[in-house]
This record gives sequence, structure tokens and C-alpha cells, in this order.
Amino acid sequence: MKIAEALQKMSLNARLAALLLLFGFIAIFAGDPYGGDKTEIDARELALIVDKQVDHVAAAELADWIIQNRSDYRLIDLRTEKEYGEYHIPTSENITLAGLTDAGLQRNEKIVLYSEGGIHSAQAWFLLKARGYKAVYMLFGGLEEWKDKVLYPAVPENPTPEQRVAFAKIKEVSTYFGGTPQNGAAAVTAQPQTGATAVTAQPQTALPKLSLPAGGTGPKPQGKKKKEGC
Amino acid sequence: MSAPFYKYGLFNDEVSLIVAVFIGIGFGFFLERAGFGNGRKLAAQFYFSDMTVLKVMFTAIVTAMVGVYYLSVLGVLDLSLVYINPTYLAPQIAGGLILGIGFVVGGYCPGTACVSASTGRYDGWAYVGGLFGGILVFGEVFKLVEKFYVSTAMGKVTLPQLLHLPYGLMVFLVCVMALGAFAAAEWGEKKMAAKREGE
Repeated sequence: MKIAEALQKMSLNARLAALLLLFGFIAIFAGDPYGGDKTEIDARELALIVDKQVDHVAAAELADWIIQNRSDYRLIDLRTEKEYGEYHIPTSENITLAGLTDAGLQRNEKIVLYSEGGIHSAQAWFLLKARGYKAVYMLFGGLEEWKDKVLYPAVPENPTPEQRVAFAKIKEVSTYFGGTPQNGAAAVTAQPQTGATAVTAQPQTALPKLSLPAGGTGPKPQGKKKKEGC
Repeated sequence: MSAPFYKYGLFNDEVSLIVAVFIGIGFGFFLERAGFGNGRKLAAQFYFSDMTVLKVMFTAIVTAMVGVYYLSVLGVLDLSLVYINPTYLAPQIAGGLILGIGFVVGGYCPGTACVSASTGRYDGWAYVGGLFGGILVFGEVFKLVEKFYVSTAMGKVTLPQLLHLPYGLMVFLVCVMALGAFAAAEWGEKKMAAKREGE
């Protein structure tokens, strides 16, 4: 009752000032608006995403995006700086797992992660998902898959006509990225033995020079960047 | 988590411009209602005889701060998506001084100049003209000042990061600072009024 009486006597300004002080005081105990390093996860939601495999981007799909010069996503290379220096997928940025949450990635961006195989990118995927990043994807199979499917694609044994057509397209993509399609022409003229060796034994050629495709490895064009600030 | 609306794609670039128009009109309206379309009232700030500018602006700042803080703590707003201007200490101090001198001399800041111009004051229009002239000159000499313009870069720092204080404590301190400033402003106004009467 006394508080109510005291409030009655106060001017509007004084009441607002008291309210501000109260809000400020509660804030001391209310925590960090940026969320700090601790997070909460919705385990069921994550499990569903993993189950439905909607968190994957196939190597061929990614190759298409790069060729189309799409800029609505960020491609993150999670390997070490040294490995990144030796070869990386054009337009990718090098961010290690430890630096991921401080790397300035935004929660509303589409993020595609890749590592050598699939383990690191899966871990990074979980980390980002748990921190509330909305659109995080993994390159299915990692860089190994990229090499197999994009840089050094091989025709399957005894290719069907459809497979040959598909391979002709993949060959172009592969050449774009400076790769070497494995035994493409010979296999298409269909000698079963050569086809077989192409799939199994053909040694991989050296990784393409980073200058290929022209300009592709430089900083990614930001496209329609949202204007900010005043 | 659903805000900022624009960043979460609730509306696109075009709609964001329409939203900006309405927010801009609202901002201008309240500046005008606070009396900020009048250069004399604004300049009085610097002679400590009328501290309305400080009171209105600081009130807006703490209201926004408390609102943004609680919205993000409650998980409605993702603060990491809210743009923070990067700090360039030396050029921003220089820029602040230039703006301050212009404010005292001309009686307006860029925003209030537009408010004043839209209410039909000639000094407001002159000021807006000067504003665009200044932008033009700055654009032309930018190459000469570019080095200074990007010097002492500190990145996107906030006070809690700089002072290594918890965010909540910083919110409290700014609230206390605002209340202190309000009290000091009222006291200063009374002092100045008494002095004027004495003269």
C-alpha cells in the first residue's frame, strides 16, 4: 500500500525514471542478449532434418551454383589453412571449426560447409544449427566427393545412353573447374575394359591450379548486398 | 526468434523502402513535436539554457536500449543481425567536432535541418542546401582524406566488449547515466534561468 501511495505522489517523469531504473537493475541479472557461448537445441527438430537429409548439397549441385555465379550463399572450407592453400573449391572461404562462431556468419545466411570427408562439416553443421543458424548445409561427401564427382568424374562401367549424355555434361563442368574427366571419350566409344579401368584404377591427376576457373578463387562477389548503416 | 523482420526475409528490399518512409515520417514528426524544427531551441542546448535535446535524445536512446535488450534476452530479436556501425576513433572524433561546430553555428543537425525545412523555415532550407553541398565537396576530396577516413579502425565494438563488462550491467550503467544526465540537465536549466533573471 505504501508503494502505491508513494507512486500516486510521484510525477509522471519520476515514475518513468523509476521504471527505467527498475528495468536497468533487472538487466544486471537477465544475461547476455547475444546469447554467450551456451546454447539450447531442439533435438527433435535437428533429428528430423538429419533424417530427411534436407541438409545436404550434392557436389554437382554446388558446381552448378558456382558456374551460375550465384551469390545467395556462403561456401565455407573447414580444413586447415595449409590444405586450403593447396586446393579449395572456388569461391570458398577458409574458416576453421574453432573460429566458426566468431567468423561473422549471420544467422539468416545460407551457409554451405565442406571438409575433407564429411565428419568435420557434420560437426560444424550441428554447432551452427545449435546456435540458431537457419540455413546450414553440408557438401555431401565433402571434398572427396567433389573430386570424384566434379574434378575427376568417371563413366560408369557399360554406360547406358542416358549415362553417356549425363557424363558429357559433367565433363564440361569438370573442365570448367580445371578437372580431368577420367577417360571420357574412350569410355563413350565403349570398350568395356577401358571403362572398367577408368572407374577403378585410373590414378588421379594433380589437383587443378587455384587460378582456375579465372577469377573464381578471389573474394566472392557479394551480389546484391543489403545496404546498412546510416 | 523473428526479428529483425527484414533480415529474416519477412519483406523485401522494395517493401523495406516503404517501411523506411513511414519510420522516417514518424521520426521527423516526433522531432518536430519536441521542438527540434527550431534552430534557436536546438542551439540553446549549447548554452545550457534549454536541455530539451539532451533529454529527448537520451530518452530515445535508453528506451531503445532497454527495449532491444529485453527483446533479445526473451529471444524475439536476434541482436547479432542488427547492424552496428564500425568504429574509426580518430576520424569519428574529428567528424563529431565538425558536426558539433556546425550544430552550434547553424542551429541544426542534418536530421533536424530536414525537419525544419519541411516546416517551411528558410534557415532549414539553407541548411539542407549546405548539407548536399558538403556531401558533394566531401565526395570530391575523398581521395585526399581517405587515409584518415579509415584510420584507427576498431571494428564493430560495443561498450561491453570494450570495457569487458557484462551486457546487463552495461544496460544498468547507461540507465543510471541517463537519469543522472536528466537530473543534471534540469538543475542546469534552473541555474541558467536564475542567472538570466538576475541580469
